[in-house]
Amino acid sequence: MRPGPRRSLPWLAALAGLLTVLVIACCAGKFPLPPEQLLRALLARLGWADPVDATVDTVVWNIRLPRIAAGLAIGAVLGAAGAAYQNMFRNPLVSPDILGVSAGAGLGAAAAIFLALPLVAVQAMAFAGGLLAVVAVYLVARSVRRHDPVLVLVLAGVAVGTLLGAGISLLKILADPYTQLPSITFWLLGGLNAVTGGDLLAALPAMLLGLLPLALLRWRINLLSLGDEEAAALGVEVRRLRALLIAAATLGTAAAVSLAGIIGWVGLVVPHVARLVVGPEFSRLLPASLLTGAGFLVATDTLARTVAPMELPLGILTAIVGAPFFLVLLARGRGHR
Amino acid sequence: MSGEPLLRLLELEAGYAGHTVLHGIDLALSRGEVVCLLGPNGSGKTTLLRTLLGLLPPRAGRVELLGVAPARWSRAAFARHVGHVPQAHEVQFAFSAEDIVLMGRASRVGLFSTPSRHDRDMAMQCLATLGVAHLASRVYTTLSGGERQLVLIARALAQEPSILVMDEPTASLDFGNQLRVLEHVDRLRGLGLAVLMSTHQPEHALRVADRVLLLAQGRVLAEGPPEPTLTVANLAALYGVPEAVIGPVWAARPPST
Amino acid sequence: MNRRSFLSLLALATLCSRSSRSLAREGGVAARFGELPPAGRVSRVFAAGSPAAVLACVLAPGKLLGWPMRMDAAARALLPAPAADLPFLGRLSGRGSTVGTETLLSLRPDLVLDAGSVNPLHLSGAERVWQQTGLPYVLVDGRLEDHPAQLREVGRLIGAAGRGRELAGLAAHILDRVRAEASANRDEAPPRVYYARGRDGLETGLAGSINMEAIEFAGASNVAAEAGSGGLTQVSMEQILAWNPDVLLTQDAGFARRVRGDRLWRSVRAVRNGRIHVAPILPFGWLDGPPGVNRLVGLPWLLPRLYPHRYPGSDRGRLDRFTAETFERFYGKALPAALVAAAADGEAG
Repeated sequence: MRPGPRRSLPWLAALAGLLTVLVIACCAGKFPLPPEQLLRALLARLGWADPVDATVDTVVWNIRLPRIAAGLAIGAVLGAAGAAYQNMFRNPLVSPDILGVSAGAGLGAAAAIFLALPLVAVQAMAFAGGLLAVVAVYLVARSVRRHDPVLVLVLAGVAVGTLLGAGISLLKILADPYTQLPSITFWLLGGLNAVTGGDLLAALPAMLLGLLPLALLRWRINLLSLGDEEAAALGVEVRRLRALLIAAATLGTAAAVSLAGIIGWVGLVVPHVARLVVGPEFSRLLPASLLTGAGFLVATDTLARTVAPMELPLGILTAIVGAPFFLVLLARGRGHR
Repeated sequence: MSGEPLLRLLELEAGYAGHTVLHGIDLALSRGEVVCLLGPNGSGKTTLLRTLLGLLPPRAGRVELLGVAPARWSRAAFARHVGHVPQAHEVQFAFSAEDIVLMGRASRVGLFSTPSRHDRDMAMQCLATLGVAHLASRVYTTLSGGERQLVLIARALAQEPSILVMDEPTASLDFGNQLRVLEHVDRLRGLGLAVLMSTHQPEHALRVADRVLLLAQGRVLAEGPPEPTLTVANLAALYGVPEAVIGPVWAARPPST
Repeated sequence: MNRRSFLSLLALATLCSRSSRSLAREGGVAARFGELPPAGRVSRVFAAGSPAAVLACVLAPGKLLGWPMRMDAAARALLPAPAADLPFLGRLSGRGSTVGTETLLSLRPDLVLDAGSVNPLHLSGAERVWQQTGLPYVLVDGRLEDHPAQLREVGRLIGAAGRGRELAGLAAHILDRVRAEASANRDEAPPRVYYARGRDGLETGLAGSINMEAIEFAGASNVAAEAGSGGLTQVSMEQILAWNPDVLLTQDAGFARRVRGDRLWRSVRAVRNGRIHVAPILPFGWLDGPPGVNRLVGLPWLLPRLYPHRYPGSDRGRLDRFTAETFERFYGKALPAALVAAAADGEAG
């Protein structure tokens, strides 16, 4: 579509919205920090202002900014992966969890907590669990022939996800109810409270590597939403393309989940919202989902850390904030899906 | 008409695991030629089209595009030669008609690229060729069946193919749209394309086809130019209806062009 | 969002709900179902959960049938002989039970002992077990202040009355001592404590949570009380920096080691001042996990760490010796010096 004032308006609005969210997120927090002190702390590191109190500097640069950055990255990845999955599976009800990545990551993390492994192992096992779950689903689905491959993938995902969910439940009942169980429960509810800058840097390569194929194949993904045979007749190597996209989306999602625990709903709703605004064409839908996802998660996380005296689990809040918002949009939507 | 056929089926057997649908099919399709595929439901028309599009591997015999089996073509190279018009269908997402037609360019756009200005111009031109340029920015899912069919034909043309495979392009269209589609088929032949289309309406074959292939229970019942082939006797055998029933209906058909 | 309903959801999810106080409590026993056999004839006790297991283990290790929780070798090495080799049996906790009713019956216990939260859900669960199996069921309220009465009563019920009286006396002495310490010198602000749980230390107990009972009883001010009361919660690093606690307590030595080298945590006053203390977790947690009589050993350990200025030099040594003595009287094993030392490993800045 040719760029024009009417086309660029939603983008400008989205960018302005994201910027607003970022500013609010920077200003909000449990550590009392007046805006001018915040600004000075920001400028000080850049050498544009006198050094500030060390604790203030730590709060701004080592806690708040990394957390906001993690929210941006995770929201963007979940939004993009959700959009890719929905197009790929020709189903707007699909979320990045559909092939079992969250269940696999949950089982990995729960096992690490159960085995009392160090923190870094919890993350590593969550990441590996997410990847392995999807690999298992993919291999199972590939060995089944004579059926619609997309349907088989989804069914295999449901089955493997259920199996892994049972594994999580088993670990929860075996875990020590006074020490391990709360940790497992909190992990499964998701949250950015424990994410450090180092964690983010460790997960970032996988997230970017996951987003790269989505960005490169942003136009070609459209063809998968026509159906396998039609796409093949139009010159697409369907199986290879789908395998690549699943690998990419899974890599990004697994990295995001290993960082923040299970945050549902973002990958389902964000692509819907983006599609309502820019339509289903993926070269527009991808950046829209990235922006919307990033903004939504940072906004929700800001609520999670400010709205109550205690920290609210992010996974709960994304649903509480996202669901009504989504229903309103749905009720107002005209024709577009 | 150049001598070498573009597409050729030789002694083809096709079908699914443990269930062969088509037996001993021979067919050659050359530039500027329209072939109509006729047969009752379940006679194997769709299986035939899927096999020659390379979506279904042949059980025996050969399919050759320019002398090479579809499986040995890359999907993209194959799609640059063979355009496909599926039956008008549902699409899950609200793509614009232009988006849909642009997808016809997939085999000519680099793997990691997006359509260029040239591709967009091409898509618009194909819409214009079919007289539906005004639909470009309309949402595909809100179009009527006839409009969708025209958009899908435009998409196949955007592939810039030398062969067009059409699966019942006139099914579910009203009378006017049927005639419009047939007219376009006629015009495409004029542009030098080879067209293979399946249809349920013998009079359509009579109107546009250079040759017809009658398919009954997976075998060729008759093949040849439409006038001599589409006899009352053949049609009766093809559709399993007594000649006494078919005779008066077929005699009252509108005069062909 | 309704905080109370959210909290109760969390409490339910973590099975860490604290006891409802609506129930009248007399003595240590909150409820019993079925006819108890005469005390002299009780020789097989099934512990429904870990607090009850600790209770039975310190009173009559020979009568405990097995452990409701997994016990590692390090913990077993510190237990009195008969209890050290007991098998893992699983717990009895309504839908969350890991021991089957038939397994329970095949163990032929003389009674089922349960300690912990006394709320209607838990009570009806206990009653259900009794109705199903016919096994007498004794439920004691596991709050810290009830420990003396609990030790005495349960000791009497399971035929270890002398041992029960002895430990009850010790428990009462410890509680009185700590209570006196906590209320002494009212014009001095109580130390502000953050109790770091979980692998990352970002999990803690809200005001009145059973996990904070020992710490709050010792007179410390729980910084997380600001965030409300209830069970466990997650907090952010920023929140901890805002609270800036004087003392950081944990039961995770690995976490403490990490914290010492962590730039973020070193911004917290407690870490900067070297006031991070690792409570031992052997044979059971000294502060919580499980919330049982095991915490009585942790209380005297806690005092010099919360009020260092009150225990200069020799006084501190005397208190630490008292802690070791308490440990030995509870578990019948000498407190290995390495246990406290290993925990202290994470302490110095």
